[in-house]
Amino acid sequence: MRLIADLFDKVRPNFEKGGSLEFAEPLFEATESFLFTTDKVTEGKTHIRDYLETKRLMSMVVLAVVPCTLMAFYNTGLQRLLATGVANPSILKAMGIGAMVFFPLYIITLIAGGFWEVLFAIVRKHEINEGFLVTSLLFPLILPPTLPLWQAAIGISFGVVIGKEVFGGTGMNILNPALTARVFLFFTYPSNMSGDKVWILVDSAKDKLIDGFSGATPLAVAAAETGGNVVAALNKAGFTYSKLFFGLIPGSIGETSALACLIGAVILIWVGIASWRTMVGCILGATVVSTAFNFLAPASTNAMLSLPFYYHFVMGGFAFGTVFMATDPVSSATTSTGKWIYGILIGVLVVIIRCVNPAYPEGMMLAILLMNAFAPLIDHFVAEANIKGRKKRATE
Amino acid sequence: MQHYLSLAIKSIFVENILLAFFLGQCSFVACSKKVETAIGLGTAVIFVMTITTPASWFFYNILLRKGAPLLMWLNVPFLDLSFLGFMAYIAVIAAMVQFLEMFLDKYFPALYAALGIFLPLIAVNCAVLGAALFMVKRDYNLMESIVYGASTGMGWAMAIVSMAAIRKKLRYSNIPAGLEGLGIIFIMTGLLAMTFMCFSGIKL
Repeated sequence: MRLIADLFDKVRPNFEKGGSLEFAEPLFEATESFLFTTDKVTEGKTHIRDYLETKRLMSMVVLAVVPCTLMAFYNTGLQRLLATGVANPSILKAMGIGAMVFFPLYIITLIAGGFWEVLFAIVRKHEINEGFLVTSLLFPLILPPTLPLWQAAIGISFGVVIGKEVFGGTGMNILNPALTARVFLFFTYPSNMSGDKVWILVDSAKDKLIDGFSGATPLAVAAAETGGNVVAALNKAGFTYSKLFFGLIPGSIGETSALACLIGAVILIWVGIASWRTMVGCILGATVVSTAFNFLAPASTNAMLSLPFYYHFVMGGFAFGTVFMATDPVSSATTSTGKWIYGILIGVLVVIIRCVNPAYPEGMMLAILLMNAFAPLIDHFVAEANIKGRKKRATE
Repeated sequence: MQHYLSLAIKSIFVENILLAFFLGQCSFVACSKKVETAIGLGTAVIFVMTITTPASWFFYNILLRKGAPLLMWLNVPFLDLSFLGFMAYIAVIAAMVQFLEMFLDKYFPALYAALGIFLPLIAVNCAVLGAALFMVKRDYNLMESIVYGASTGMGWAMAIVSMAAIRKKLRYSNIPAGLEGLGIIFIMTGLLAMTFMCFSGIKL
């Protein structure tokens, strides 16, 4: 360690003002603070003393995503092995296949997104922020495993540049960059981002598939059901509740497992990074609306309405979105009351989009992004109400 | 009743006049600096649209369209005056805005002062004219055109109010010099429109 530290001290003058490599200062700074604790303090008049700086915060988020990532490796491989008729797939083999899917997507995300991040940092002379590590890890996890790599590169470029860097970088964006990237891809290349063909890594021309292979996600199965009983239809398609909960189902690479997301949620809440208010709000909102829909269901031909609320939690991206996307401290509401409202509205919207909008059986990412756009408004009204309340108390 | 409700939801969320048709951009961009002003202008637009859309409906159905009652009474059933629609609706809208201006000046002077120059600008807000033209094109009846006018105004108001709040947050952002002001607002409007696409498949 001493050796590396000495090396850094030796080359440092080159990167300081007037040095020959002055333009690459952000790169140097990023590498150094990645390996060592930075000795920099905040500039300007205001200071906050806290152990939790962005680097630690982002590292904790990365740690919390690890269970989801491992589950992503396993499930992506497992789905392929099952689809090609392997009876008892070994865990290691499945994880090997999953890793072969995840890492190319992850690396292309790091390269493409990192390029823009570094470019903006050098030109605009701000630091390269660890926030990008979180964005680049979350982004591949919410993609379908069959996505072409160039599309992932285009998506993350849009997310980083338009979603974040034009606003000034980490902490100054309005919408979550990873979600912006995903939703951009969703509307730009719908055939690669939705439907029944994209969720399991098989090539129907080359691979020998099992009989009755469909590749549909549980939400697609539920949305396609025209009879009265959605739960029976799900069970018939092989999606029992425990399978949905553990995440052994087709879907985006890393968002299928509610269990892994739950572990992540415990870590994030325990270390105090993600807001439990937002998470509870999401669950509350979804519960209330889906229960209300259950009462409407007998009068309608739409079978999605009759889906019990606890099924919504384990299908599609609900769990992943609630834990890792909705709680993003930058793009979510910042006031405590605001977080409740924000969370509840996400829960309400996601169930509405899933049940009422036939075009998109999965609504979590869209719902969160929409509420990202409304979060400043929620905060504004909460702050105004606070000011009014205080004024009233002061005059009494 | 349900029919009118779905029409309202459709014109507020699914076919938001600003975020799906990009009408009414100028006052949206110019007047979204403060949330209070945005709420005021939004309310004014809702009010104006609720009146002008059915007023235009009367104009179209009584005077302009082929076989309109007034033309029949004048015994010219072959005449089709709908090519005068643009002029007629603009006149109706301008007159209504004048009326609203006088009304606000007398009864809500604070709001009148806050809106300032932007109130007369409603007269040239293309969203208001757009609503009148869509109403004609889609062949709404009187009740539908009232609901359509009001809910389109609400959709516009919702968009401008949320934009005003976003701009409040953007004050703390570090935007590249070339994009400051209007540039970032247009990018943000595009992103806002993208987030609203989550409603785009809903059939009502």
